[in-house]
Amino acid sequence: MSHALRRILVTGPLLVAVSLCVFALSAALPGDAASSRFEKRPQLMEQWRKARGLDDPFVERWWRYVTGIVTRGDFDRSHLDDQPVGGELVAKLQATFELTLVALLLAILLGLAVGILSACFPRTPIDYAGNLVALCGISVPVFWLGMLMIVFFVNTLGFEFSSNRYDPDLDLRGFATGLVLLEAPLRGRFDVFASAAKNLMLPALALCTIPMAVITRMSRAAMLEEMGKDYATTARAKGLRRRTVVLKHVLRNALIPITTITGLQFGGLMGGAVLTETVFSWPGLGRYIVERGVQARDTPIIVGGILLVSTVFILVNLAVDLLYGVIDPRLRRGG
Amino acid sequence: MRGRRLKVLLRNRAAVVGAALVAMMALAALGADLLATHDPETRQQVFRAPPSSEHWLGTDENGFDVWSRLVHGARASLLTALSAVGFALLVGVPLGLAAGWYGGIVDGVLMRVVDVLLAFPSVLLAVAIAALAGKPSLTTVVFAVGVVLAPPFVRQVRAAVLQVRAQEYVTAARALGATDARLLWRTVLPNCIAPILVLATLSTGIAILDAAGLSFLGLGPPETSPEWGVMLTKAFRYLLHAEQWILLPPGLAISLTVLGFNLLGDGLRDAYDPRSSYSPPAAGAAPPPASSTKGA
Repeated sequence: MSHALRRILVTGPLLVAVSLCVFALSAALPGDAASSRFEKRPQLMEQWRKARGLDDPFVERWWRYVTGIVTRGDFDRSHLDDQPVGGELVAKLQATFELTLVALLLAILLGLAVGILSACFPRTPIDYAGNLVALCGISVPVFWLGMLMIVFFVNTLGFEFSSNRYDPDLDLRGFATGLVLLEAPLRGRFDVFASAAKNLMLPALALCTIPMAVITRMSRAAMLEEMGKDYATTARAKGLRRRTVVLKHVLRNALIPITTITGLQFGGLMGGAVLTETVFSWPGLGRYIVERGVQARDTPIIVGGILLVSTVFILVNLAVDLLYGVIDPRLRRGG
Repeated sequence: MRGRRLKVLLRNRAAVVGAALVAMMALAALGADLLATHDPETRQQVFRAPPSSEHWLGTDENGFDVWSRLVHGARASLLTALSAVGFALLVGVPLGLAAGWYGGIVDGVLMRVVDVLLAFPSVLLAVAIAALAGKPSLTTVVFAVGVVLAPPFVRQVRAAVLQVRAQEYVTAARALGATDARLLWRTVLPNCIAPILVLATLSTGIAILDAAGLSFLGLGPPETSPEWGVMLTKAFRYLLHAEQWILLPPGLAISLTVLGFNLLGDGLRDAYDPRSSYSPPAAGAAPPPASSTKGA
C-alpha cells in the first residue's frame, strides 16, 4: 500500500477519536453557563435540556453533533443565548489561520536563512548569533515578547495600533472568504491588503519566533549533516561552486527533516496563537475559546473551537506527510 | 562513566551557563523568605512606585513589593513546573515501559492514545483541561501542563526500551530467572535514564512557559498570589501607561529560567549522546568539538 494512501486511511479513525474526546469534554465540564442562566428557575432548565436533547445518551448526542457539522456545518447553539455558534467559530478560525500562516511563512523564511548561514559558517560569530536568536525564541514567553513589541512599536515609534483585522471603514462586500489578506490581492483590492497587512504585522512577528527557533536549529543540524556526506564532497570535487552545492544539492536533502519539524510547528502555533491573540486583541479562535468559551463556560464554543483547531492540525500534518512524497521520491512507493 | 559525562558537560560552556541560571532560580525559590524584603501579599504605602532603596524593584499597582513577589514567584514557578514534570514522569514512564516491554495490544492501544493526545495543540489542550478541572488554581495548572507533557515521555521511554530490550544483558538477566518487574526496574529502566533525564530537563522549561501562559489567560492562581504569569497579566493591563518597566522583572525571570533549562538540557543531551551532536565538518572546515552543536 502506498505511503500516501496509508496516511489518508489512518487520518479517518484519528479524527473520529479526537471528536469523541473533545465531545466528552462537554459531558465532563463542571458548572456550565446554563446552570447560572437557569439558576433562579431550575424547572425551566429541565425543559431546556430536554428541548436541546442534552439528556440523550452520549453516543447519540455525539453522532447528532458530528453529522450536524459534516452535513450542515452546524456547530450546535450557545448554552448562553441559544444562538448558533458555527458562523462565529469559522470566522474566528479564518482569522487565526491567516495569522498562523503568515507567522509560519515568516518563520520558514527567517529560520531557513539563519540555519543555512549558521551551517555554512559553523563556530563563527554568525553561527553563535544565530544560535542565540534560536535559543531566545524557545525561551522567551511569546505574550511577554508581544507586550514588549507593543510598548516599543506603539509607544516609542508611534505606530498605530488597532485591534481590528483591517480598517473597519473599508468596504469588503463581495469578499467570499474571511481570509482577507489572501483574498484582497486576488481581487485587486490593494487598499484592503495594505490595511490587513499592517494590522497583522505585529502579532505575526511575535508569533513567528517560536517556530523560527525550531526551524533554525533543525535546518542548521540537517544542513551540517548533509554537508558531510560523500555526495557533497564529490560535487565540490568535480568543480561545482560551493553555493551551488549548498543550495541545490545539500538543501534539497536537508529539506526532509526540516519539513517534518515545520509541519509539527503548525499545531504549536495554533495553540500559541491563544496568547498572541490575547496580547494583540486579534479576533482569532484561540482568544475566542478562552474568553467566550472557558471563561464564560459556554460548552459548545469550547467543544467546537477545540475540534476545529485539532482538525486543522491533523489535516496539516497529513498534508505535510503527503508532501514528503514530493520532496523524497523514495517514499512514493512502499515505504 | 558518570565522571566522563560530567566532564563533557562541564566543558560545554553553554551548559554551565544554563546550570548556573537554574541554580540561581532554585536558590531564589528556596531562600525566598530570606531574600524577600517585604511580604509579597501585603500592600505597601506606595503604589506604582519606581525602584528605590526601600523597594528595590518598586511596587505594582496594588502596592505589592515587586522584588519580593519576584523571588516568591520563583518558588511558585519552579514548584509548578517541577510538579507538572513529575506528574508527566509518573504517568509517562510506566506507560512507556509497558508499551515498549510488552508490545502487542498494550503497545498498540497506548500508542494510539498518545497519537490522539498529540493531535491537540498543547496550549489548547492545557486550556481545555484547566477548564475541566474547575476553579483555576496552581493545582489545575500543574495537572493541565502535566497531561500535556506526558505523551512525549511515553514515546521516548518506549523507544529507549525497544533498544534496550534486545541487548544481551537483558537476555542474560532473564536467563538468571529475573521476573518481569525486576527486569524492568533493575535492568531496563537504568539504561533508559539518559533520554528521560534530557527530556525532563527540556520539559521543565516548556512547563514554566505553559504555566505562565495559563496564568496569563486567567486560568492560574488568583490575582494576588506572587506568580510570574500573574505579575505579567497585571503589567499587561497597564501596558500603554507610564510604568512600563514593571513588565521587565517577571518577563526576564521567566525567560532566563527557561533559557537555563534549555541550555542545560541541550548540554545533557550532548554529554549522554555525542552522536546527536556530532556534525561532520563542512567542506574545508575543521572537525567540530563534540559539544558545540545543538541538533533540535
